[in-house]
Amino acid sequence: MFGLDFPPINEVIRWRDAFGNLNKIGMIAVLASGIAILIFLLASRYNANEAPKGVRNLAEMLVEFIEENIVMQTIGKDGLGWTPFLLSLFIFIYLCNLPGIIPIMQMPATGRMAIPLFLSVIVWVVYNAVGIKHQGFIGYFKGIMFPPGVPKPIYLLLTPIELVSTIIVRPFSLAIRLFANMLAGHMLLVTFALLSAAMFEAQTKKFLLVPMGILPMGMLIFLTVFEVLVGFLQAYIFTILTAVYIGGARHPEH
Amino acid sequence: MEALVQVSRLVSELNAADAKAANAAIGAGFAYGLAAIGPGVGIGFVVGKAIEAMARQPESAGMVRTTMFLGIAFTEALALIGFVVFILLGL
Amino acid sequence: MPTAIVTQLNGRIVHVRLVSSDSTDTTMPVEALEANAPMAAVEGEAHTEDKGPSPIAPEGKELIWGGGSFVVLLVLMRLVLFPKVKKGIETRYGNIRNNIDGATNVRADARTDVAAYESALVDVRAEASRRVDEARRTLDAERQVAITAVTARIAARKAEVDASNAAVRAAASADVSIAIASVATTATQIAVGRAPDAAVVSRAVEESLQLSGGQR
Repeated sequence: MFGLDFPPINEVIRWRDAFGNLNKIGMIAVLASGIAILIFLLASRYNANEAPKGVRNLAEMLVEFIEENIVMQTIGKDGLGWTPFLLSLFIFIYLCNLPGIIPIMQMPATGRMAIPLFLSVIVWVVYNAVGIKHQGFIGYFKGIMFPPGVPKPIYLLLTPIELVSTIIVRPFSLAIRLFANMLAGHMLLVTFALLSAAMFEAQTKKFLLVPMGILPMGMLIFLTVFEVLVGFLQAYIFTILTAVYIGGARHPEH
Repeated sequence: MEALVQVSRLVSELNAADAKAANAAIGAGFAYGLAAIGPGVGIGFVVGKAIEAMARQPESAGMVRTTMFLGIAFTEALALIGFVVFILLGL
Repeated sequence: MPTAIVTQLNGRIVHVRLVSSDSTDTTMPVEALEANAPMAAVEGEAHTEDKGPSPIAPEGKELIWGGGSFVVLLVLMRLVLFPKVKKGIETRYGNIRNNIDGATNVRADARTDVAAYESALVDVRAEASRRVDEARRTLDAERQVAITAVTARIAARKAEVDASNAAVRAAASADVSIAIASVATTATQIAVGRAPDAAVVSRAVEESLQLSGGQR
């Protein structure tokens, strides 16, 4: 197609190991963790009595965002103890998403399955543990399998669906939502970048193809801006779904 | 002569592999395209209703927005499964 | 005649090349195949290694690095970083709340001060208006006294002037009646040739004067 040689997906996401077995994805993850730790370390060194500014303002904004927009809306006031967990999740995912649009890096670490899967497994363990702790083993599974307020014959259909959706589908959908969104965004960027490069370097029909290369270039810029939004939104959705699952495990539906 | 026969057999096998790859590519395209229809309609519906609710009661906009994102997340999962199948078929 | 050169590795086709070998004889490809096999195999190996990771399957090393860094972040956040920042926020909010309370107290104090000032102002105003009234009243009384005195003086003066006027008029009218009597006597004497009785003349003059005075 237009002499455009599109590489298979495997090649787009192949990264060489740099130190030992630390490849680009690992580096981004380490960097994300390091930046998050650095922000909060710097923030905690400011004088707390002065009006917050700079890094401290950022850190406090994040804390209040998590507390007010995520915890208070889903778990409630007694769930404020979960703020550090949700905060780490949010910041880590966001900082892993962000390199997808930063020049030179140009790869979201969450565009590979490893990190989303790991995070969703942690979330799975956490919300199941919370459910078992708050409702007891039997109570928790009874709450999942036999939601109240349903006519008895429906349970025949509902119980397996509920069990599978809570125990198996939830973590996978959580992981796949994040992974597939970021990978899809990355592939879109790759597609338009390759297309505009191929058009700018066209050998035949230069007078037509080179000016038309502006179009995929513009699309590339638009998509880059769009990916900023998507990166934030996916981090937010992952975090708020985690909060919803934890809240659901704490207070069973009556 | 025997070598030529073997070569032609190999070539026909190769063509079969090519045909399989082509079918897989077509299937992948359909998988993603079909998987995107439902969620596209669904997300539009969710967001439209959410905007309606926000316009009606601007004071409850925060709660509506949170719930809207949850709804979008659940609806979008279907399209993303389609995307994953697309990658799997394209392999 | 085109010929396919097929390279196999472990029973799988890894490379196929079509060669139009008009210049070479037909037995060549098989030999070429044999000869090229090791090289092609190496090529094939390199190719399968280059294929890159599966886009879906999670990779062990990424799992370790990503998961490890997240766990480090989570533990640090839970134990050290979040409590510090949260404590800072709460201290500041406490301070702000104290400040707000202090400001509320100061405002209440200011309100009471303002109220006291206003009541004092009302007192002072009442006092001032009382004094002004008093002064006005005094002034009125004094003026009344002065007016009375002046009126009395004027009346006295007027009476005096009236008295003097009356005296003058009486004198003048006496003079006039004497003159008239003398004129009448003289006129009668001239006309009649004899002097009339003085008493009759004076009575007639009195009567005529009375008459003219009554007409006036």
